[in-house]
Amino acid sequence: MNELRAVMKDMMVEKRDIYLSVLFGFLAGITAVALFASSGYLISKAALLPPIYTLSLMIAFLKIMGFARAFGRYLERLYSHRATFTMLSELRVNFYEKLEPLAPTIFQKYKSGDLLSRIVGDIDRLQNFFLRVYYPPIVLGFIFLATIFFTVFYSVTVAILLLVGLFVTGFLLPAWFAYKQRRIETRLREERGSLSSEVTEFLYGFMDLKLYQQLGTKKKELEQASARYIDEQEKEGKMATYHQSMNSMVTLLVSWLVIAFGAYLVSNNELDGVFLAMLIMISLTVFENAVPMALVPAHFEDSRRAAKRLHEVVQDEPVKVEPTKSLPVNKPFSLTMKSVSFAFPGEERTSLENVDLHIPAGSKTAIIGASGSGKSTLFQLLLKFYNPTSGTILYDEISQDAYSQEDIWARTNVVQQENHYFYGSLRDNLLLAKERATDEELHEVLEQVHMQDFDLNQTILEKGDNLSGGEKQRLAIARALLKKERLWLLDEPTSSLDAVTEQAVYEHVFHQAKDDTLILISHRLTGLEYMDQIIVFDQGEIVESGSYQELLNLEGYFYRMKQIEKEVLV
Amino acid sequence: MNVLKQHAKKQKATRSLLIVSSLLLGITVIAQALFFVSIVDQIFLKGASFESIIPDLIGLLFVLVARSALTYWNGRAGVKMASRVKEYFRSQLVYKFSKNPLQTSMEGQSGQKVSTVLDAVDEIDGYFSQYIPQVIQTSIVPVMILVVVSMEHIYSGIIMMITAPFIPLFYIIIGIMTKKKSEEQLDKMAVFSGRFLDTLQGLSTLKLFGRSRQQKELIEKSSLDFRDSTMEVLKIAFVSSLMLELISMLSIGLIALEVGLRLVLFQSITFSTAFFVLILAPEFYLFLKNLGQAFHTGRGSMGAAQKIAEALNTEDREVEWGDTSLGRMDVPPHIQLQNVHFAYDAEGFALNGIQAEIPPYSQTAIVGKSGSGKTTLLHVLAGLLPLSQGSVYVDGLARCDLKEEQWFDTVSYISQNPFLFSGTIAENIAVGKKGEVSRESVEQAAIKAGIAPLVESLENGYDTIVGEGGRGLSGGEKQRVAIARAFLKQPSIILFDEPTTGLDLQTEQILQSSIQELSQSATIITVAHRLHTIKHADQILYMDHGEIVQKGTHLELEENNPFYRAMVKTQQGGMAK
Ligand SMILES: Nc1ncnc2c1ncn2[C@@H]1O[C@H](COP(=O)(O)OP(=O)(O)OP(=O)(O)O)[C@@H](O)[C@H]1O
Ligand SMILES: Nc1ncnc2c1ncn2[C@@H]1O[C@H](COP(=O)(O)OP(=O)(O)OP(=O)(O)O)[C@@H](O)[C@H]1O
Ligand SMILES: [Mg+2]
Ligand SMILES: [Mg+2]
Repeated sequence: MNELRAVMKDMMVEKRDIYLSVLFGFLAGITAVALFASSGYLISKAALLPPIYTLSLMIAFLKIMGFARAFGRYLERLYSHRATFTMLSELRVNFYEKLEPLAPTIFQKYKSGDLLSRIVGDIDRLQNFFLRVYYPPIVLGFIFLATIFFTVFYSVTVAILLLVGLFVTGFLLPAWFAYKQRRIETRLREERGSLSSEVTEFLYGFMDLKLYQQLGTKKKELEQASARYIDEQEKEGKMATYHQSMNSMVTLLVSWLVIAFGAYLVSNNELDGVFLAMLIMISLTVFENAVPMALVPAHFEDSRRAAKRLHEVVQDEPVKVEPTKSLPVNKPFSLTMKSVSFAFPGEERTSLENVDLHIPAGSKTAIIGASGSGKSTLFQLLLKFYNPTSGTILYDEISQDAYSQEDIWARTNVVQQENHYFYGSLRDNLLLAKERATDEELHEVLEQVHMQDFDLNQTILEKGDNLSGGEKQRLAIARALLKKERLWLLDEPTSSLDAVTEQAVYEHVFHQAKDDTLILISHRLTGLEYMDQIIVFDQGEIVESGSYQELLNLEGYFYRMKQIEKEVLV
Repeated sequence: MNVLKQHAKKQKATRSLLIVSSLLLGITVIAQALFFVSIVDQIFLKGASFESIIPDLIGLLFVLVARSALTYWNGRAGVKMASRVKEYFRSQLVYKFSKNPLQTSMEGQSGQKVSTVLDAVDEIDGYFSQYIPQVIQTSIVPVMILVVVSMEHIYSGIIMMITAPFIPLFYIIIGIMTKKKSEEQLDKMAVFSGRFLDTLQGLSTLKLFGRSRQQKELIEKSSLDFRDSTMEVLKIAFVSSLMLELISMLSIGLIALEVGLRLVLFQSITFSTAFFVLILAPEFYLFLKNLGQAFHTGRGSMGAAQKIAEALNTEDREVEWGDTSLGRMDVPPHIQLQNVHFAYDAEGFALNGIQAEIPPYSQTAIVGKSGSGKTTLLHVLAGLLPLSQGSVYVDGLARCDLKEEQWFDTVSYISQNPFLFSGTIAENIAVGKKGEVSRESVEQAAIKAGIAPLVESLENGYDTIVGEGGRGLSGGEKQRVAIARAFLKQPSIILFDEPTTGLDLQTEQILQSSIQELSQSATIITVAHRLHTIKHADQILYMDHGEIVQKGTHLELEENNPFYRAMVKTQQGGMAK
């Protein structure tokens, strides 16, 4: 319920359209009742041979009601749907907005296919909440009140029957359906989510599946997921028809009671026979509005689940700390870590343990260490993607807490171990780093990374699938070169490059970073002699640090690595 | 021409049942009117007693219940029919995707494809759950009503006959618009999905570049686009039901007028006839109107079917396979590439005139600058890309004559960026081998890949969930999980695309000795930048611009190839300052 309350709050933004929907809905409903009531009355009256003018009056009335009903229905639909779909599109944007700060942690909890299913499918389902749960009962209430009020003038019994009928079809039956609905667990939303993630994974992992001939197996799994989803849909569909038919049968039964009682009253002269046809017509028409009430519980339950699925993703909003400081612009700054320890959320093992380091402004630092020793994690912390479990991180001797994430990101040139490329042109993918870069600038950086042959208009496929491994890395470096900030965080930026290209690229990077603070994670030990400082990580701890020569003299980890390298490189 | 129609035709049994139940429904509709009229007539005009109408009341009750039951049955049949067809289309799509050649699989946005598989297929539902049952009902019930009304009072029948055709005419006009608009709507939906999924994948990148705001605007825009296109479709639907409503209103009014005049002025018909006609007339138009709405839904489904058909009918260049078997499976085959050409598309990068021999148990290294076509050559060797010229011979047989399955059974390929599936570490390693895989062999493979110590240090060990929705791994750890797949499979040909990038020297040593062990029973082809991986190769293929410019051993190349020499030098010499 809580989840839906949030949705309802969003809905009230479209207040005007909601009122109009109710108004026109009522108009359409009540004119329909009037229309059929008058036609019933008309025909009975006609049988009694009244003066012709009464007849023409009645027919004129009939026509007006007919038009009013048609237009009322049209306007109701227009306003209600316009409001609904505007709301849905706002909900989508809201969802994305709340999701965005949760990256990258969110992917350890949810699969992207599932998130896609939530933002598309679940939000789409919420349309029923407004269109079928929220305002139709209000409209129904008004129509019945008006009708019953009118009927009282002719027959109190019939009025009571209508009231009872309303109670049964509008409340009792739906409540019973709701009760039943609660007990059987529908997994429609979940099944859709799992199908969506299966399909997404199938597409993303296509090449590996093909190579290992697992496409068949995966396809079967997908088909099973699809079958489960369709099963749920079918169950839901059947249930809906069942409820609707049940409710419609009850409404017909009420009409039957109206005719039976009406006939009884007429035969006992307690009711003028000329009204009998009219009352029947009223009852038949007014209950048409009650039939959809059968689906209210199902839609309510469904919307609730959808809202819950949306809510659960974005509920833990990160605590926003107001930044009190901003990083120096166009000036290198120093980085310091004081006994920093860190474990990923939900992990027992620490990925960093008691890390102390100081990186002076404008210095060049290399970080080496075994795979999984915490090098990339260190970068994640420096970038404030995560906060340390204990210890402090300082920029220019001021705690990281004082700076906003956005500020830190804006001041760093980052090359991650894996970089993302968006579906679009090469130009768009580069412009990401510098919005207003001219084509000349772009050509220049492309040349620096030895990709001058590339056309800026070339399409880049999703995830850079049509680029070679080294080209992807070089583009990431090109972005960093474009950004021109004074802190460089490079996570194995050239691991897939051949040595010659690598060297050429590094030349440009180090040239541009001459006075900047630069941290480079690398597995290659050659060339490190030029770095100011080398920090060696092992199992989350710093085991050695110092200049190239100092480390060699130490005859520790670095020295051993160097020995291995010598053996293989001779 | 219309795929959906063909599917509807196939569902013969359901259709016949729908016809029968529609006939019955028609009877209940007419009977209901008869009972109503008879009761009112007796009570109101004939002054009959209540007892005398009791049989009529009971009959009416029966008819009302029957009518509800039939409506239920019709709805249910439609729902079931829809399920079958949706299942069919979805597996067609998945089948198509699974048969796609590698290149096609990269094209377009994944989110868009997901949207086709989910949303477009779901959209088909309406055609079967609503449109078909309604078409059958509307082609039966109104005709029955028309006949009965005409028998009772021919003039009302004539009015119905004249006015009714306007309704179908109208929805044919509307329908044409609907189909186009709903295709647009699905397109917008797909664009939104594509953009969202791509954004999601690159969220960290976007944040680092401070672009998630702009991306939000893009998302907002495609979300609003989707809303607008939805509203366009709906507006057509609303206008069409408004028009249908007006037409039927006018017609009912006309009938009421005619009946009323005859009743009052000419007294040429009885009250019961008049009332009967007046009750049936709205029913008549109601069925026609409902068809109008169902027609709209059906058209939307056809738009979706069109989208699905487009996805199913793309022409692709596929890798050719035959059904010859290799003679021996226990020994690695002899591989020969003869004048192999391949191009991704008309212009752009191409492999040209590749000639190479790869004897069994040999170790081949492919080297060259970044972008020179090493990975592409490996893809070609693996049989992932179609050749445009030349052939690959396996033990003297053209590979395009071999069975696809058998070929892939003999090769393992560790790609440059292997994908981790969402699942346990054990499952991710087990992907390497078809069929049942024992836990023991998974652990063995993990040890050889040098990932075992990490896995064992985890709380849940091999059952730790990784990939999306699971624990994160470091770059090198992911790579090693993928390498373990190859060790599990123990194939006779192994293709490695830079297996040791991102690994430290120590881990690499472990790996190298495992690869050495594998090489006892397999041919190994490695793309490598690192000198020490290359040095011991039996032959080195040096690539440049999509061609093999030189072949030979390390010493030979070092002697003859200045570029190769430079490469070696730089690796030994070090990094620029
Ligand atoms: N998202 C995560 N959740 C939990 N543990 C993680 C996550 N990412 C990494 N780890 C673990 O933290 C440790 C350090 O990982 P990190 O990515 O920093 O390694 P690395 O030094 O960069 O290694 P590599 O050279 O392989 O990239 C590893 O043991 C890894 O398994
Ligand atoms: N799917 C594709 N569609 C079109 N062009 C592609 C595709 N994949 C790669 N290319 C292009 O083909 C060329 C060769 O790429 P390939 O991946 O074979 O290079 P590589 O030698 O493996 O380089 P690296 O060492 O950087 O991985 C590159 O210029 C790349 O842009
Ligand atoms: Mg790393
Ligand atoms: Mg490559």
